[in-house]
Order: sequence, then C-alpha cells, then structure tokens
Amino acid sequence: MKLLKGRVLKGRVQKSRASTSLQKKLSISLTLGMTFLWMLALLVAVFVSQIKLNDLFDSALAETAQRIMPLAVVEILNREDITQPQNIMSFAAHDEQLVYLVRDSLGKILLQSHNAEPTDFNQTLLEGFSSSTTHRFYGAWAVQNSLHIEVAELLIDRKEAIIELALSFLWPLLLLVPLCLLGTWILVRYSLRYIIAYRKAIESRGSGDLSPVNVNGLPTEILATAESVNNLLERLRRALEAERSFTANSAHELRTPIAIALAQIQRLQQEVPTGKARERAINVESSLRKLSDLSEKLMQLAKAEGGGLLSTEQHDLISLLKLIVDDRKRSSVTCNATSGLVIDMTLPKSGVFMSTIDPDAFAILVQNLLDNAIKHGRKNQPVVVGFSEQGELSIVNAAEVVPEEPLKQLRRRFVRANTSVQGSGLGLAIADAIATGIGASMTFNSPASGRKEGFEVKVSFPLMIKPNDKVAK
Amino acid sequence: MRILLVEDTEGLGEVIREQITDEGHAVDWVLTIAHADVSLRSVDYDLILLDLMLPDGNGLDLLTKIRHSGKTTPVIILTARDQISDRIKGLNAGADDYLVKPFDLSELSARIAAVSRRYAGNPNPIVNIGALGIDLTKHLVYRDGATINLTAREWALLEAFIQRPGTLLSKAQLEDHLYAFGSEIESNTIEVYVSRLRKKLGSDQLETVRGQGYRMKLL
Repeated sequence: MKLLKGRVLKGRVQKSRASTSLQKKLSISLTLGMTFLWMLALLVAVFVSQIKLNDLFDSALAETAQRIMPLAVVEILNREDITQPQNIMSFAAHDEQLVYLVRDSLGKILLQSHNAEPTDFNQTLLEGFSSSTTHRFYGAWAVQNSLHIEVAELLIDRKEAIIELALSFLWPLLLLVPLCLLGTWILVRYSLRYIIAYRKAIESRGSGDLSPVNVNGLPTEILATAESVNNLLERLRRALEAERSFTANSAHELRTPIAIALAQIQRLQQEVPTGKARERAINVESSLRKLSDLSEKLMQLAKAEGGGLLSTEQHDLISLLKLIVDDRKRSSVTCNATSGLVIDMTLPKSGVFMSTIDPDAFAILVQNLLDNAIKHGRKNQPVVVGFSEQGELSIVNAAEVVPEEPLKQLRRRFVRANTSVQGSGLGLAIADAIATGIGASMTFNSPASGRKEGFEVKVSFPLMIKPNDKVAK
Repeated sequence: MRILLVEDTEGLGEVIREQITDEGHAVDWVLTIAHADVSLRSVDYDLILLDLMLPDGNGLDLLTKIRHSGKTTPVIILTARDQISDRIKGLNAGADDYLVKPFDLSELSARIAAVSRRYAGNPNPIVNIGALGIDLTKHLVYRDGATINLTAREWALLEAFIQRPGTLLSKAQLEDHLYAFGSEIESNTIEVYVSRLRKKLGSDQLETVRGQGYRMKLL
C-alpha cells in the first residue's frame, strides 16, 4: 500500500515537474535577473554620485568660505569697535542653504549670516572639513590666525539631493520592469514557437495517431529528441501494423472454417426432412452464427484498441460511408433477417470530407453503429444516417427512450440496454474505442435530437489536418 | 447460367457448387488461378465467383487480367478478408459484388441473381413477358395469377432466355448454359427441356428456328 502511495506521489511530483512552463520560467527568471542587475547598477550609480556630489558640495563650501573671508575681514577691520558682533541682514527674504560664523581666536562671534545658529557650529575652532550629526562644516583662519570663519551646510540637503537622484533613476526602472517582462515574454514565445507548435501537435493527436510529428524549425537542443520520438512512433506503427496484419490473417484463418461449417450445416438443413435432425441442424447453425459474430467482434475490438487507427494518407469519409451503407442495404435486401430495412442518408453538399482516419477503422466504427441501430431500431422504421459539413456523423433509429443511467453505461463492454435483442454487447464499446483512438468525440442521445423518442449516436470527427502539419520522418 | 467458381477451400467449394447446381445453374469449380485461366479461355461464362487468397496467387490479379482482356463477365468476390480497403481494391479491379465469408448460401444465391439481373439490364426482379409474370428472386412464374412450378433445370433454361430476350440461342449455347464440364448430356436433352417449358408456359412463348436454335417471343 505504501509502495503504491509512493508511486502515486512520485507520479504527481513528476506530473507537476512536467507541467512547469519553460516559457513562464524563462520570462520570469530573465526579467528578475535583468531587474536585479538594473538595481545593482542603480545602487552603484547612486553611491558614486553621492561621493561626487559630496566632493562638489565640499568644494562649494570651501569656496564660499574662501570668498566670504576677505569681505568679512574688511568689514570687521573697518568697524569702530571690532569686538561688537554683527549680524548680516539679507536684501530679500530667502532660505539660506549655507550659513557662516566669523569668530576671533577666542571664539567670540564677530560676524554671522542672518540664519546662522551659533549652537549648530563647532565650539572648537577647526580648520578644514568636519561634520556634526546635522551639518557639514568648513573652517579657515585669516589675518595671522586672529580671525576664523566657519561655513556650515545642512546634511539633510545633501541627503535630499541624493534621494532625488536615486528616485530619478528608479522611476524609469519601475516602468521598464513590466516592459521588460512583456518583451521577454514575447521574445521567449517567439523563440519557442516551434516547440509550442510541436507540443500542440502532440497534445491534439488521438491515442491512435502514430504519424510522425512535424520537427521543422525545432531548435537543435531538442531536435534530436523529437527525431527520436518520430523514430519511436515509426517503430511502434510498424509493430502495430504487424500485429494488425496478424489479426487480419487470424481473422481470415478463423473465418474460413466457420464459413465451411456454416455452409455445410445450411446444406444439411436443405437435405434432411423436417424433424429432430433438422432442428438440431438449425441450432448448430445458430451457434455457429453466434461464434462467428463474437469472434468477429473480438477481432474488431483487438484492432480498435491496438492503435494504428490513423493512416498517413487522407481518405474521403463520405465515399466510404456511402460504400458501407450501400453494402448494408444490399445485405438487407438479400437477408431475410433484416428485410424491409430502410436506411435514409443525408450527406453534405460538398460531398467530401477528407480525413487521415484509417478507412478500415472508420468502416468498423460505422458498421457497428449501423448494426446497433438496425438491431435495436423499431422494425419497418428507417434508420437515418447523416454526415455534416463539419464532420459529424449521426445515426438515429426509432426506439423507446433509453433511461439516463443505462445510456451512460452503453460504452462499456457486454452492456446492453435492451436485453430482448440478441447481441454481443461489444458494438458500441468497439465504436467508442475507435472514436477515442482517432480523437473523435462520441455521444449518445435518447430521445434523439429533435424527436420525442429514439436513440441517436453522434460522432464528431476531427477536421482535416493540414498537410504541412504532417511531415515525414 | 454457366458459372465459374474459383475457390481453393474444398469443403466450401463443394457446398457452393451443390447449392448453385440445385438452383439450376451449371458450375465449373476450379481450385487455382491457372485452372481458372484455362476454363475462361474455353467457355464464355455468365458469372464468376472468385476467392482472393488462392494457392497460386491473388484472385485480384486474375480479375484484373479478365478486365484487361475486355471481358465484361460479372464477378462476385468471395473472401474471408473483410477490410474495406480490400473491398475497395476488389471493386476498383472490376468486381461487381463482394461477399465476406462466412455468408449465408441464400445470400450468395440472391447476390448471384441480383448481379446477373443488373447485367441483363433489368435490375427489377419482376419480369413480364406477354402473359407471363416472372419473379427472378423467388424463382416463380405466374400466368393469369396462377403459379407455374418449374424444376431447377427448366428454370435455368428459362433464365437463359430471359437474360437475352428476343435473341436466338443455339443448342450448343443452351447446353453451355445448363451443363458444366464433364456432365453427361443426351443429344436431345435441350429439345426435351424446351418441350417441357412449352407445355408449362404455353406453346407460343418459345419459337424454334429450324437448324439454328430457339428464341423467346417478347409478346
């Protein structure tokens, strides 16, 4: 049990791995990779810009101090009392980015800009650059180290400049990420178009389709695999053909002795007078017929389930349908069991529906559906056979409505809705196996479409596959 | 009718021959293509029953040869190969019908009758000649609503005339039609059967052309 569970889980894991989309994976990983690289480039750019901006701001700070200092010296020396502090008023109200203090060697303030707050400045008179938690300073001495100027700049202004710079880099990136995702998706999809077409070609084929898959345009990475798959399909097709040939030969070998026995017993019935011997001959004939029918159905089922239901050539299903129905009509004319049978046929105006379905598989499918309709149809009421332009075959016979539950079971082997009629219970199972194998859909309706009673089988055949979708090995 | 049966399965060939002979036809039964070839060169058959898988080849090759030689003799294929592709090949090669083994002997008889009617240009199984009504399917003859019973040989002779209405048929042609190879035929057999038919159908139905043969009157 554990082993079984393990296998089931393993199967699920394999299925989930198999269901990962290469296109999705490539698109997302390429986009994420590019986004990561862009972010890295942005961080480096911001970091380098920050260093350069700091250099520029520092240079501006030093230059400001150097320019203000001579003016401040002249201003102070021209005073009557140089020890009196002076606050420089502004011409017009403005927000000061740079503030300064001019102090004497003892630290007494002699001159200051109008927004300067002395407590923000260094208390020690320093030369060159220095920083506090809120400001960046530049200090310089003049007049034989008797006057000291210190220019300050708020650090937050520098931070804002860096943030604005980073944001100016980031906004386009936010737009570029979805564009990159879309572009990558399109590029990957375009690059994978042949692989997608290959996948669709495999997905859309029925279980009986063993024709080679188109490998044109496939990238070299998977071309060898695809060609190996085609080789494998070809080997499988040959093996199935050999099996079919064996089945056909077996059928031939089986039919011949049955034909001899049936013919002999029919002659015997004509030769012996009415009585027990004749009754026995009739019973033997009946058993031989059942044996013949059953062996026939089993051979058909073996073929239906054996694969190889599609051929590499195209055939007109409508011509085949006419041939099969004509043959059935001819048999019914000469066979007492089905005398009085009428088959009405409605065919499309185009009169042609090309398909790669194997003609023998199609014939087995139609013959079984016709047999079913004739056996279970009301006597002296026609069986209606239709084929639409879209490739839908419908076979309708008059009958009591089949309840829903038995209707669902009819595809199963040896299941019969009406047990009063003799039959093997294999006909619809064979038809279902063929429909599944060729990728057609088969539905049962009772009452039949547009009627109050009756039984209808509809088979929708896949539309013709374009020749360029099918490529030889 | 004179029928050539090409069937290599002895048990089946024997029964088919008996069945068809009982219906009044003359049957030459051969087991190989080579023998069939010889028979076809010496006799103008009304119908050929042809098996496909024969010991010395495929029956389809014989059929193709027959058609290429210009002969239009109706051919019914009897085979155990039931695939529609084989059926299409057979019909394309020039077969008139295709019967898959195992089959009912009655169905075989009906198919033989249907094919020969088609060749006679009258697919309708009911033929009216003068006051006679003839049901080709049931092998029954009516005159004024009353059924006339015919033996198998008498029916076969009547059928030979119906197939060629108004045509003069020689004694040799009628013998060929009624008897297979090796049958013992009395010199006056045909005269005897013609006489019996005249009695049953009416003396005015069959005309004797002295020294040449017999003809069925269409009136």
